[in-house]
Amino acid sequence: MRYLKFVAPIALVVIIDLIFQFGAWEPIASPESHAGMSITKKRALADPEFQHIDFVSLGSSRPAYGVDHAAFAKAAAAHNFVYANLTVAGTHWMTIGVLVHWLAVHHPEIRGGVIALSVQDFLASGNGAYEIGIVYPFRELADIGSMARHVPFDWHDAATFGLYSGLFEYHEDVQDLLLHPQHRSDLLDYFRSLTPGRVLMENVDETADMCAAPINTLQDCSALSSRGSKDDPKILRQCEQLEATARNRFDLRPILDGQSSDERLQKTSDQIREQLRQISWPTPPVFVLMPMPSVWASDVVPQGTHAWALSVLQPLVAEGKIRVLDYTDMFGRDGGPECKAFFDLYHNNVTGRQRVMERLLPELEQQLFAAQNTSRPTQIAHAPQLSH
Amino acid sequence: MLFTSIQFVAFFLIVLALNQLLRRWPVLQKLMLLLASYYFYAQWNWHYLFLVWFSTLVDYTIGLRLPYSPNPKRLIILSVIVNLGFLAVFKYANWLIHTLNGVTALTGSDLHITPLDVVLPVGISFYTFQSLSYTIDVYRGVLPPRRNLLEYALAVAFFPQLEAGPIVRAREFLAEFDGPKLVRMADVQRALVLIAFGFAKKMVFADTLALIADPVFDNPAHAGFWDTLIAIYGFAFQIYCDFSGYTDIAIGCALLLGIRFPQNFNYPYIAQSIQDFWRRWHMTLSRWLRDYLYISLGGNRRGELRTLANLMITMLLGGLWHGASWNFVIWGGLHGSCLVIERVVLARWKLWQSTSWFMACVRWFVTFNVVCFAWIFFRAKTFAAAIQMIGNLVHGARGLLHAFSPDQQLGGLLLILLMLTTHLINGHGDTKERLGANSGPGFTVAMTVVLLLLILFTPNHSAPFIYFQF
Repeated sequence: MRYLKFVAPIALVVIIDLIFQFGAWEPIASPESHAGMSITKKRALADPEFQHIDFVSLGSSRPAYGVDHAAFAKAAAAHNFVYANLTVAGTHWMTIGVLVHWLAVHHPEIRGGVIALSVQDFLASGNGAYEIGIVYPFRELADIGSMARHVPFDWHDAATFGLYSGLFEYHEDVQDLLLHPQHRSDLLDYFRSLTPGRVLMENVDETADMCAAPINTLQDCSALSSRGSKDDPKILRQCEQLEATARNRFDLRPILDGQSSDERLQKTSDQIREQLRQISWPTPPVFVLMPMPSVWASDVVPQGTHAWALSVLQPLVAEGKIRVLDYTDMFGRDGGPECKAFFDLYHNNVTGRQRVMERLLPELEQQLFAAQNTSRPTQIAHAPQLSH
Repeated sequence: MLFTSIQFVAFFLIVLALNQLLRRWPVLQKLMLLLASYYFYAQWNWHYLFLVWFSTLVDYTIGLRLPYSPNPKRLIILSVIVNLGFLAVFKYANWLIHTLNGVTALTGSDLHITPLDVVLPVGISFYTFQSLSYTIDVYRGVLPPRRNLLEYALAVAFFPQLEAGPIVRAREFLAEFDGPKLVRMADVQRALVLIAFGFAKKMVFADTLALIADPVFDNPAHAGFWDTLIAIYGFAFQIYCDFSGYTDIAIGCALLLGIRFPQNFNYPYIAQSIQDFWRRWHMTLSRWLRDYLYISLGGNRRGELRTLANLMITMLLGGLWHGASWNFVIWGGLHGSCLVIERVVLARWKLWQSTSWFMACVRWFVTFNVVCFAWIFFRAKTFAAAIQMIGNLVHGARGLLHAFSPDQQLGGLLLILLMLTTHLINGHGDTKERLGANSGPGFTVAMTVVLLLLILFTPNHSAPFIYFQF
């Protein structure tokens, strides 16, 4: 008892931390934060309309913009299937793993789906500590070990403390609420007003393109910044990111040829394969390698990245675990001009999305919908209707 | 190794454990503390340990010889020259060279002195003053020389106060070795309150206020009236939270090791005069300047005019102690001028000295704003930047209501009002002392709140302690 008063504050903080870990902050978390985007999806999934889901799409912001989710949902609905778009900006392998696990527990009825990333996502199994925020609303205590394999705990990086602490995970969100309470209130009101169908089945439309200042090489980036023009500051910022990435460019081709080896890349490959093998949907997932502006392959990512990504996926294809659709170069070479298909250096606009869907929809019909037994239980007939 | 780093926490826990293990062997315990202190200092730059050792050995030897010397004055002058010589070379030489080069450039002379290639050793202003206090006390006969080199070396280099004070005089520190070093449960509680409050002051409040003050002080030409006003008040609380937070952690850590340090801050922003302010702000420096500079100059024993001159000299040198820049001299000069005005004018003005609550509020308001105004010169990088800050206030005042932006400035203003309110409330109730002795749930609740504050409100980027640069 003598030491109780010294121990009690720590015990109280641990209890409050657990309350945060179990979702106490989720109702007021910023919908614009990494965790908030996932919370919006999770809340929509809790709606009775989505009690039963047949197909999902998982992936980063590239498929969030580059896949026509409304068309996907409509095609699924034509077969009396329910589709849910669970793509979240920033998704990497950690998110894929945690979401697949969460869906296996909460939606074991899922028949299959699409996983969409890009070839550069095969260079590392972790994408930075911010991904902890994305998975936080979906993660369970059993996931912590696998999360730490993607983003290891680091004493010097408070962002990684979120692996084990709900208070640390949400501390920036709490600060933001105090700094901008009115903005938070407006955001929460807006996102609460969205119907679950809109969150899980509709698109975010970006109609702008990059043809005013096309970026085909890193020199175009340099020219853009040196002009000091009033171009989109986002493109300038992305150019800086590309230039920074290109400074550490290396060559993967000797590894692909078997002339050398890289332990880190081998570990990444093993982790990705292990993760994809664990998906137990009745229909093997369709893995889409999303289109990338050609500047990435020509000047930024390591030489041989595309072949490396395919080499990681190839054994899984051979095992029948996944099917792969490779759209990486679909707007380069003869598919151009690519500037019409992207609104920035990462994402497709509506035009690009339509062209992706011209290829993707027939594949989905064949590989997902036609593969199912269409004599489904009658309750599925009440699939939600899209509200266009 | 910053107090707020994980490395320091690990280091301190190891030292604390060893201190407990060695409590039956005081010599080994002191030796361990001395080695730990040197290790702590070497983490910054081990080369400068030689300066600490040299200063320690010189003053230890002078201290031993002073009582037997036929000419003790010569020895004390030697001690002053050695200690202030270090300061002159490492802290002030380049400032003097730059000033001289500036003057010669103005006069069209070709004389140019190349600045010295030296780095200011962390804590040099603190440990030289501590070491000097020992030889001066021995010279004055108020302290017998210490024969135990280990104890004396530890008094100079004890790690909690080595880098930024408090300036513990040798006689205070050495007295701690003369009695039994007991750490009672009440001391642990008091120490934990101090450490927790210190961390919260530094990591939550000072570092957050830095985000408000730094951009404006670093680039005042782009700031408007409200940005400037909020940055000045913000800096006033930033430096208080930064320095008093450091001191709280230092006092708390020392207490856990069985050493009692004197208080260094006593809610300075509730002061009702500049004299009162200096009895509450960096109290150990104020006492040092009073006992070893002001009194050495003659204090108030040589007539009114000489007293005023002594006050002014003490404050100017006190300002210069903080850093080698004319801005610090101006800052010290402003405080010195206010002390002179208080002594000559305000002390004789009956209305000003009235005990009514209204006049108390007026005195507090004037004092607080004078202190904040002086901080402009303390914080601004150059004299021109300080003038620009003042210009922002003068020119911006015309459209001040129109210029206020709730989105940009409301958060900072509310934070400063919160700081001021808690300062005024705590200053009249001393929350830390009461929590340190609390036997009910108050301690548990307060510590829980502080831990939550630290986790939830610590900005991602931590700034180094401001007083490390002095």
